[in-house]
Amino acid sequence: MVPPNDMTDGAPQNDFESSLKPLWLRAQLGDETAYRQSLELIATRLRGFLRRRMQSLPDDVEDLVQETLLALHLQRASYDPTLAVSAWVTAIARHKLIDLWRRRGRRDVLHDALDDVDESLLALVADEGTARRDLLGLLMALPKVQAEAIVMTKLEGLSVAEASARSGVSASAIKVQVHRGLKRLADIVRGSAL
Amino acid sequence: MKTGLLMDLLARGAGPAPSPATTQRLGSAWALGLLASAALALLMVGPLPAAAFVKPAPWIKLVYAMSLGWTATLLTAQLARPVARLRCQLLAVAVVFLVMACVAGLSLWQTPPDLRRAAVFGLTWQMCPWLLLALSLPALIAGFWAVRGLAPTRLRAAGFACGLVAGAVGATGYALSCPESSVVFVAVWYSLGMAMTAVLGAVLGPRFLRW
Repeated sequence: MVPPNDMTDGAPQNDFESSLKPLWLRAQLGDETAYRQSLELIATRLRGFLRRRMQSLPDDVEDLVQETLLALHLQRASYDPTLAVSAWVTAIARHKLIDLWRRRGRRDVLHDALDDVDESLLALVADEGTARRDLLGLLMALPKVQAEAIVMTKLEGLSVAEASARSGVSASAIKVQVHRGLKRLADIVRGSAL
Repeated sequence: MKTGLLMDLLARGAGPAPSPATTQRLGSAWALGLLASAALALLMVGPLPAAAFVKPAPWIKLVYAMSLGWTATLLTAQLARPVARLRCQLLAVAVVFLVMACVAGLSLWQTPPDLRRAAVFGLTWQMCPWLLLALSLPALIAGFWAVRGLAPTRLRAAGFACGLVAGAVGATGYALSCPESSVVFVAVWYSLGMAMTAVLGAVLGPRFLRW
């Protein structure tokens, strides 16, 4: 599947893919630690990818990193194990970047920057950033049941069963509320034109 | 907010990734679109008399529209995800068009020259593609909803494929009302109507398939 010259030209990328893929496959099966590590690897790459392409908007890079991570999480189902994880991540990141430009009404900037994104150029940017947008604040703006379900299971670290016992809502309803809440959060993030 | 905190939040209690909902979403969109287009065709144009279904014409239309709908659905399912890898889906769609074109060519060749004009234009060529486009709109809207939730990243191509299926769904509904009996008519005007819906999908895709 990979042309032979990619092996040498794209060496850093292949390193990235080979360290990410096993983690990611475990994460897809429900391994939380592997998921957290995958996100860390992905965020580091994303930061480089976006920083390179958003030189006119450096302050927005971390916001878009977060938005992309949220999108990746919500679209986990769309990952096909026969694909390179990096290709999947790149496709989503590029989509989010185009979406950002479109929201800002700046189509013209797109043309040369995005057409041939060479994944091997994704640089490592390890420093952990703080976004300008406060997702936690936005979380509190969600409908109460959704916000509560997220706070209990995602911030306080309760299991779904514990959250269910505390709130008197069924376990499956908790899961649904968490998912809906994150989805709503992603919509709010997209809708607020920064 | 620190990105590390967001990653903690996403990973905690994440559980296994759900399986993709491609079949459910596309399936329910097409079912809804088909119901709407059949109902609109029957209300706006009226049903064909039962006797018409003894002849091959309505069946040819249905088989053509459904084959195209099926192959274009496979194409849509590929394009409705972040990394679309097209293998033979595009070819399958092309084969359906080509087979229909060959059948129509053969039929036209066998038609006596003085009847050819009637075989191509029938009585309703001016309204057929437009009516077909109109009957496809419910499926197009439902299809866009379905595709958007599946995270497409090639929006124009995904919109085109989705529009092609919507056109085929509209054609299936219209086949219940369409009085034309020539294969050539179907090959020309049905194809045009479905292509118009596909182009509409491609035009609207980048705007309405964003997520």
